[in-house]
Amino acid sequence: MSAEHSLRTEQVRLGYDGRDIVHGLSVEIPPGAITMIVGPNACGKSTLLRSMARLLTPRSGQVLLNGKSVHSMPTKEVAATLGLLPQNPVAPEGITVSDLVGRGRYPHQGWFRHWTSEDDVAVADALSATDVLELAGRPVEALSGGQRQRVWIAMALAQRTDILLLDEPTTFLDVSHQLDVLDLLTDLNRERGATVVAVLHDLNLAARYADHLIAMKAGRVVAEGAPADIVTEDLITEVFGMECLVIPDPASHTPLIVPIGKHRAARSGTSS
Amino acid sequence: MNATGHGALPRPPEGSASAHIPGTAAGRDDAVRKVASVRSAQRRRGAVVSAVLLLTLSAAFCLALAYGDIVVPLADVLAALAGGGDAGSHFIVVELRLPRAVTGLLVGVGFGLSGALFQALLRNPLASPDVIGISHGAGAAGVVASVLFGVSGLGLSAAALVGSMATAALIYALGRTKGTSGYRFVLVGIGVGAALLSVISFVLTSSKVTEAQNALVWLTGSLNGSSLGQMWPCLVGLTALLPLTWALARPMGALQLGDETATSVGVRVEPARFGLLACAAALAGVATAAAGPVAFVAFVSAPLARRLAPGHGAALLPSALVGGVLVLVADFTAQHLLWSSQFPVGVVTSLIGGPYLLWLLARANREGRGG
Repeated sequence: MSAEHSLRTEQVRLGYDGRDIVHGLSVEIPPGAITMIVGPNACGKSTLLRSMARLLTPRSGQVLLNGKSVHSMPTKEVAATLGLLPQNPVAPEGITVSDLVGRGRYPHQGWFRHWTSEDDVAVADALSATDVLELAGRPVEALSGGQRQRVWIAMALAQRTDILLLDEPTTFLDVSHQLDVLDLLTDLNRERGATVVAVLHDLNLAARYADHLIAMKAGRVVAEGAPADIVTEDLITEVFGMECLVIPDPASHTPLIVPIGKHRAARSGTSS
Repeated sequence: MNATGHGALPRPPEGSASAHIPGTAAGRDDAVRKVASVRSAQRRRGAVVSAVLLLTLSAAFCLALAYGDIVVPLADVLAALAGGGDAGSHFIVVELRLPRAVTGLLVGVGFGLSGALFQALLRNPLASPDVIGISHGAGAAGVVASVLFGVSGLGLSAAALVGSMATAALIYALGRTKGTSGYRFVLVGIGVGAALLSVISFVLTSSKVTEAQNALVWLTGSLNGSSLGQMWPCLVGLTALLPLTWALARPMGALQLGDETATSVGVRVEPARFGLLACAAALAGVATAAAGPVAFVAFVSAPLARRLAPGHGAALLPSALVGGVLVLVADFTAQHLLWSSQFPVGVVTSLIGGPYLLWLLARANREGRGG
């Protein structure tokens, strides 16, 4: 089931309005794993993700999906393999949950193939997986922020792609909904072998849920690998310019980052 | 996270059709049934709304043919339309009233659909051709052609169409940044519209009074002079544009979700939007060419249609039908229900559209939204 699609960038240079944000970056996304990209604000992590989803054309270099440049492939062909949940998606006024999620089926429809029962199945599965089935007939604007985010994830799921890119999927969610979303992505990865790539702000959740962590700073990759192998106090200090302690997470035995900050630190000298 | 209590994601049908956890299959069937029923309920509502609008439109059309100084019974109207009936009612219905009714209907459909397209594509309720300057472009070209060059009839229609397309192209070129922001389009459009209004004023003030008066009636939007000669270009234009729009509108649902989401589900956003905007501008141009820039029809049709059929995305078909009903009813009001029979239809549509614009602006302000 898990088609082993490969996704990598080759010396991509990315930027907006004359300013380069990412300078000649080559990263390879491990297939069938969960990759999380972390880094301080404006380090280019979202930019990198957007280029992988062909929302941004590289100034040089290329993004390769199964060895072919995503920017020269037919966009619908890319959409059948690679889905994206953007950072701030917009819902048109009055649209219902099932209608919105159904629009994720676009790449599977064509001139002579309109809505079929297979589309109903895909939408139903996506709604069940994100626990919003009960809201199917409700207008999206009447939902809470957490519900809305799950509806958008459902839309990306209904697209049924083997690779799913998510740009800060847990922003605006309270901590339990953040865990829900990350558990859902893990299910998706474990059950279907989907390749998941997410930009995440919460370092500890990223370290806990990622199989592969990419730490970026100023448009470059500082370190990448399994969180247990790469997350150290030195790395966090280098990437985020912040002193911290790294201890084993008592719940998951993954690295847990404890920021120290200027005030209120009880001890001193432990974090050499 | 899982409503149905099976802690795993349902698998896609291809591969393992049987669910891998006992009890999941029934839950999944229920879910599929629920999705299908929500969907069909929504479709049914849309179909009912469209059917009712179509009936209303037919009724308004028949009324326009039947009522006037001489009232023709409905049976005679239908007979005359079918090519039968006596010579008198045939003359009144087919020769005198049909061109006006058909033109009114087509103009309404054209404006209604054009407005729905602009508003949905630019994601802004203010973005309709009569607000963002497209109609002004058609109007300015029409006035320049008729007053300065003495063009009338088909030439005037052509000038109005060219004017609307050229204005749309100008607004597109000026308003286009990386990705297209609807708000920017509206602002650029209002600016372009203001400039074109001054062109119209300049031409009118420097022309003879009678010419200026004729031009003003046309600028308000009028079906008073409708003849077969004006009906045919409009009919041909819409016959070409309606199927083209329908064909290009397939990615509409995805486009409404924003450029990024549309791209990620496989829409080539720029060409898809460009094609639809061109259709929308042409629809407004053809409609303006036939009856002048009938105010506010494009602006109010889509919001009305969406209120009738909520949750239907762009509601293109209902918007077109609402536009047709609006123009026919407004023209009937202008002809028969006001004290003068020479009122242009645009006066009545302005009476409806003006207050709606004020309400929209007041609401947008209160909610802190840019419209």
